[in-house]
Amino acid sequence: MGLILEEGADMLNQAHLLWKRLMYVSALPFILTSLPSLAEDAGALYNTPYDVSLGERYFERQCSRCHGFDAKGNDETGAPDLTGRLNRASNEVGIFNVIRNGVPGTAMLPVDADLPDTQVWQLVAYIESLRYDPNSVQLDGSADSGLALFQGKGECASCHMVRGNGGRLGPDLSRVGESTRPEDLMVAITNPHENVDPRWWTLEITGPDGITRSGFRMGEDSFSVRIMDTDSNLWSYQKNDIRSIERIERSTMPSYDGSMSENELDDLVAYLFSLRREEN
Amino acid sequence: MKRVLFTFVGFLIATIYVQAFAQEQEFETVMTPAFSPITWERLVNAKDEPQNWLMYSGSLDAQRHSSLTQVNIDNVDELELKWAYQIPEIDRAETVPLVVDGIMFITEAPSNVVAVDARTGRQYWRYNHELPEDLRICCGRNNRGVAILGETLFMSTLDAHLVAIDARTGNLLWDVEVAKHDSGYSKTAAPLIVKDLVVTGIAGGEFGIRGFIDAYHADTGELAWRTYTIPEPGEFGDDTWSGDSWKTGGSATWITGAYDPDLNLIYWGTGNPGPDWNGDVRLGDNLYSDSALALNGDTGEIDWYFQFTPHDVHDWDAIQVPILADLNIDGQDRRVMMWANRNAFFYSIDAADGEFLKASPFATQTWAQGLDANGRPVRVPGMAPTYEGIMVSPPITGGTNWYSPGFSPDTGLFYVTAFDGEQVFFKRDEDYEEGERYTGGGGRYDRPMDAFKSWIRAVDPTTTETVWEFPIMPRSSAGITTTSGELLFSGTADGYFFALNANTGEELWNISLGRRVHAAPITYEVDGEQYVTIASGNVVYTFGLDD
Repeated sequence: MGLILEEGADMLNQAHLLWKRLMYVSALPFILTSLPSLAEDAGALYNTPYDVSLGERYFERQCSRCHGFDAKGNDETGAPDLTGRLNRASNEVGIFNVIRNGVPGTAMLPVDADLPDTQVWQLVAYIESLRYDPNSVQLDGSADSGLALFQGKGECASCHMVRGNGGRLGPDLSRVGESTRPEDLMVAITNPHENVDPRWWTLEITGPDGITRSGFRMGEDSFSVRIMDTDSNLWSYQKNDIRSIERIERSTMPSYDGSMSENELDDLVAYLFSLRREEN
Repeated sequence: MKRVLFTFVGFLIATIYVQAFAQEQEFETVMTPAFSPITWERLVNAKDEPQNWLMYSGSLDAQRHSSLTQVNIDNVDELELKWAYQIPEIDRAETVPLVVDGIMFITEAPSNVVAVDARTGRQYWRYNHELPEDLRICCGRNNRGVAILGETLFMSTLDAHLVAIDARTGNLLWDVEVAKHDSGYSKTAAPLIVKDLVVTGIAGGEFGIRGFIDAYHADTGELAWRTYTIPEPGEFGDDTWSGDSWKTGGSATWITGAYDPDLNLIYWGTGNPGPDWNGDVRLGDNLYSDSALALNGDTGEIDWYFQFTPHDVHDWDAIQVPILADLNIDGQDRRVMMWANRNAFFYSIDAADGEFLKASPFATQTWAQGLDANGRPVRVPGMAPTYEGIMVSPPITGGTNWYSPGFSPDTGLFYVTAFDGEQVFFKRDEDYEEGERYTGGGGRYDRPMDAFKSWIRAVDPTTTETVWEFPIMPRSSAGITTTSGELLFSGTADGYFFALNANTGEELWNISLGRRVHAAPITYEVDGEQYVTIASGNVVYTFGLDD
């Protein structure tokens, strides 16, 4: 079954490529008259769901060893996470160039010079698909109502900061809409114990003075650990001085499932999703 | 007046003395260090000159143990920085430097080597290897070190060449192509000298290569022998590969082996069968992938083999440094090969004939119910990668990996950097294309990395039981070195260099170097002072005691 599908896909692929080539040729006169936009125009030709799936196949095969099967990067190889904001490219042309040329002086080598641009664009389309344009998302809730809930009934601001205002007992949410999808925001509000970032684990540490302090896990390494307690005091310990340490991998945030109506939750999500870097 | 004259004469004498002394000092420091040629006998007896670090694993038995005692459990907390050498090319440093009579040879990414004064870290010469643009490398631009024989260094390069470099000047003596880099071959490991041969492996297990181990004549670079790690039709083991899969079966040899002069056997590990995570296209045990090979030191013929993971589908290379030692196991004196495998089992194997003696897991594993009487794993059903993904321990990077373990003859313990983790394994269908990756899947972590732990574990090789363990943050890729100062040195993924009591695992000293340690420590002595060196990030740091 798998084999038949593969063959079918290959034939489809070839037909598709032929069509693409024809498109490309017919687009040539236009491209030649506006050279600077060549790359962008070419990129726009290869971003159908089918291209994305071929790009994903190529990625899994050629790129995942360093960047991870989920493209989230790898601390051991030093390859960056490609699912968030990219450091070396701000648009698809930039991504194309990094893939085509590599990053000199690093382990990011250029792809095979014989690899057709078509396939590079499909790879670009896949990497772009890992992100998305937030402006294209339509939400049910009202961001304005969400803001009122955030500051009022939800008491969110007592723990979370937004653009310099609010508490320190949860993540700064000033740009949470850039990196988190609405459905994930909903999960975070209604089931905060799922996927707790280790930064927000709670550590209960009894230090050499015999005093037990509880705080957020600001930083932990092989020989030391640093926490912030609920009064925002910062504490640093050498692990071999510590009498005991307990890790609580749950979130300190309450679940809003039940304490807010569905409409209110939608409003809150709409507000959080609107929190992105302000356009210049 | 007389008194003044006396004082003046005294001053003159003092001045002359100081000048003479200064001249002598100057002469000492400008003199070309006269290291005497490194003969094969010196390499065999490397442990007799602990002031030097003469090969990747310190000695032919690969124990990574030094008999130096100046730095020891009583004063290790007084170690201080002596010098730092910044590698100009920014990448990760997996280098294990050699030290020969006061000169240190450091390899750098991508394939360069520099000689520095081992007391100061200042450069004598540098060799930059010219590389083509179309490299095929799976896992970063690494080089782990050089080998030395006579006055010549031997280095693997990323374009799958082996080069010989004059140890006094850095001049290139010869340069041979070991394999075609554009077919997916590359070289990263330090070679091993065996008599007058340079023994060296190959990388490229993710590109459908056919692995081999080569030996080159040290003086000419001429190939003496090549032993493929995958048999061809008609040879023993060819029936362990379905169809033509042997041609692209991987089984690379990308880390340095060990050698026993009495048995005249070279011990070398082999990598995963390819494609890594899809075994459907290569049915059978896939010999000699994921194996320890014992090769005749003169001919390269396979004397015996031991396959740790038959028909591997998890990328658990047997790319570890084998360590040899004389041990008494169950009342019998034996030459033993100790091996902490990526598949999370530690093995004690008879080095003379490959007889399986004992094994136990040293890291979390969920794939095997245990091992049978011959050391063959009894698998837990349903742990092969699937299209949807399946959770297995250890993860792809294994219970350990290529980073060097250590053995102390003083404690009788084997030390390994272990990782307790788990990963979701995926299978994919792929066709082989020359020079392209050929892996058939991959893996994904489902929990944050900080939820896992790495450890330094001390294993008693006579029982294969873990005796003590010391926790460090996850996915350390640092090697281990022990000394007769009762010390164990290693590094961490979060940028520490540290020392433990080798007997007990007690923490004695640590320093934050700021960047990941990907290398193994070495120790040496110059002018009666012991030094300890480790690479972290892009910097090679050397420590010593207060003068």
